[in-house]
This record gives sequence, C-alpha cells and structure tokens, in this order.
Amino acid sequence: MAKILVVDDSSTVRDEVAGFLRRNGLDVDTAVDGKDGLAKLRANPGVKLVVSDVNMPNMDGLTMVEKIRSELGNASVNVIMLTTESSPAMKERGKAAGVKGWIVKPFRGDAVLETFRKLAG
Amino acid sequence: MTNRLVSKILVLDARDEQLQSLSRVCEEQNVIGIAVRKEDLAAALAEHTDLGAVLLAGDYDGSPSANAAIAAQLDALRPELPVIVQLREPSELPAALGQLRARCAADDPQSLRSALDEHVFGVAFPDALVDGIIEITTGRLRSLFPSLDVVAEPPSIVRDRIIFGEAFSLIPLEGNWCRGYMLMQAEEEPLLAMLGGVEASEGDGRRDGEPLNFRELNSVLGELTNLVWGAFKNRFLSEPAAGPQPLVQVPLLINHRHRYISFGSDNPQLCFRYRLSAVGAGTDRDVVIDQRFVFSLNWSPEHFGDNGDDAGSHACGEIDLF
Repeated sequence: MAKILVVDDSSTVRDEVAGFLRRNGLDVDTAVDGKDGLAKLRANPGVKLVVSDVNMPNMDGLTMVEKIRSELGNASVNVIMLTTESSPAMKERGKAAGVKGWIVKPFRGDAVLETFRKLAG
Repeated sequence: MTNRLVSKILVLDARDEQLQSLSRVCEEQNVIGIAVRKEDLAAALAEHTDLGAVLLAGDYDGSPSANAAIAAQLDALRPELPVIVQLREPSELPAALGQLRARCAADDPQSLRSALDEHVFGVAFPDALVDGIIEITTGRLRSLFPSLDVVAEPPSIVRDRIIFGEAFSLIPLEGNWCRGYMLMQAEEEPLLAMLGGVEASEGDGRRDGEPLNFRELNSVLGELTNLVWGAFKNRFLSEPAAGPQPLVQVPLLINHRHRYISFGSDNPQLCFRYRLSAVGAGTDRDVVIDQRFVFSLNWSPEHFGDNGDDAGSHACGEIDLF
C-alpha cells in the first residue's frame, strides 16, 4: 500500500516527484486532480502523506484538502502543497484546512526528502 | 540590468547610401532593420513572421503607382503591420497610399524617429516588467532543464500575429493593471529531440528506447507555462483588484492554415525568446522557446507594481512548515 499520494494534473510533475520518491525507496501512488486524489485516498486510507498541487481541473488542491477533512473525516493524513502559488491568502486557506506545509515550485527533492520521510512514517 | 526593447522592421529602400543612414537611425532607436530587395520581398515576409513594421521608401519600386501596389500587397498580406512610407514631398503620396496612417519625410532622421516611436513603440512597457519576465522565465527554464544552457535574446515588440512553431500554450493573466494572455510557443521537432536527449541522460523512469511523443512535449510546455505564470502572478499581480471588475471577454481567433492568432485588439505583443542548448553541443541543436504577452483586455501601467519576489517568504523548492 502506498504511503505517499502525489496529486498533480501535470504528468511532468507527477513523473518527476513520484520518480524521485520511488528512487529513494518510498511507496508512491499518483492522482491527476483533486477529485481523483480524493477517490484514491478513500480507497487507500493507509496513505500517510499527500503532496498536492493547488491549481488543477475538476477539483483544486485546497478544496480536496477541505474534503479530506470533512467528507472523509481523515484528520491524520499529512498534506503538503506543491504549487506555483505563494500568496499569503492562499496559504492561510491551506493552514485553515489543515495543510501541514507549503512548497513553491519548482520541486527540489533533496530539499524536502527527509521531511517527507518523517511525515510518511 | 535593463533589457531594452527592440523591434524588427523590413526596410524597403533601393538606395545604398540611404540604407547606411537608416542603419544609424535603426541602431539608435533599437530597431533591427532588414533591408530587402524587391525580388526578395515575398520570401522576406514569409521568413520574418515577428515584425514590428515595414519601412517603405517613396521611390522603392520606381514609380508612385508601383509603390502603391507594393503597399497594397503588404496591407493585404499583413494588415496588422504599420507601413511607414518615406516621402521626399507630401505631394508624392499617391491616392492609393493615402490610407496608410504612418509616414515620414525622406532624408529626415528625426521624422523617422518620430514615426518609429509612434507606430512601433507606441505602447510603453515598464522596465521592471520586462526585466522581471526574463528573470522569472530564465530561472524556471534552468530549473526545468538543469543540464541546458539558457540564453535570453533581446525582448521585442511584435505587431505580427503569426504563430511560432507547432506547440503553444495560452494562459490568462488577470490583475488590477493588466488583463490578457501569456503564450509559450515552441517548434515540436527540435524540442522533442532535446527532451529525448535530456531525459535519456538524466533517467526519468522512461523505458529504454521508448521515443518521446508530442503529448509528453505538451506536458513539459504546460508545466513550464504553469511555473512562469505562478511566478508572474506572485510577483506582479499580488495586489488585489480594486472593487469588482467587469469580466469582459472577447473571442480569440485562430486560423490554423495561416498560422494566425488574434486577441481581438491592435495592441502589440511583448515578445521574449529563449535559446536552449546542450552545453558544448553547438548551435545546431538549439531550441527556441517563444514567449508572448498580449494585454488585450486591460492595460493600465500606471497601476503596475513589482514586489520583487516571485516565491513568497521561502525560496523555491524549500518547505514552509506550518
């Protein structure tokens, strides 16, 4: 069972992030948008860490986090946003929804690997 | 560093001595002048699809009526390009050329400077915007392609509406000082070849020998667009719009056969080109990424703001734990 779920509408980012984490020995699944992410998480409640984009079609990342907490009642999964967004208002909304951390793209695996390991453990 | 805007214009003038004098004015005015002989005009128009104007000497083709025919041809082929007619005497202007808005006095550099200022560089773009776009985009290109050399060419004003390459992305820009679009354009074949080489060498999990296809190219171009758009928004569009804004839209028009795109206004396009090359691989493998900004729905540079920060309080890629 995957411990980390990477949610991004860009296959380039999904491949980059998931590929990096797998090469470092982590179990990873991917989802193409917030709706897909919510479905994957519903099917696999063992996921410990969600790494998600914000701007995605069908369902954005912050709405997905709000639904993880409200609809799935999952208060324990750690969520990190990986996005081009950096506005304080957006971060505040994330914080209120229970987001654990924020990364402004581009992704630099070496800068976050140890934190991801801890949050997925 | 301030990147001065340039513009490329076709110079239709048969007099060698006049061309020398024009080249001095062009240099002073940041204009890239391309002298074209009559017999090469059609080929030059086909080759240069990112022009800012055409400068037509009053006696380019001998008689005023022959010149009028050339002006009519230019107007039919590329009506968005200002044709600046150089005249020795105002009376030289034949009726057929009377519709052309742009004109200047021959052998009068000041008159030409005024015409270029008015018809080519009529829209002023803040230096901080131009410099910031280059900084953001070169940074994102280098993060996406760490093994490639990235060079930004001088930014330019383009009045042509011709699409560059085969793949392009389009994303709206919405702020209190501008509304419009950003385009990122590329030629498919060289970019595919370069991505194939880059990915093979860096090992992204693709199976050995599996060729890249256009969908993967689309995804890379889409992610590049997303990265640049996000940074642009964080740096230049962080001020909330004052009050509710009317969401006016106009249709975009694309004609695939003629590789033509219109955003519904006469505003010039702010054009940037980035040349990507494998370090030490020579220029034959270069890839050009063409980036355009078209502020077609609102342009209010008096409200422009630059917070000088495109990633917030944390550096790109670092985690900000709450």
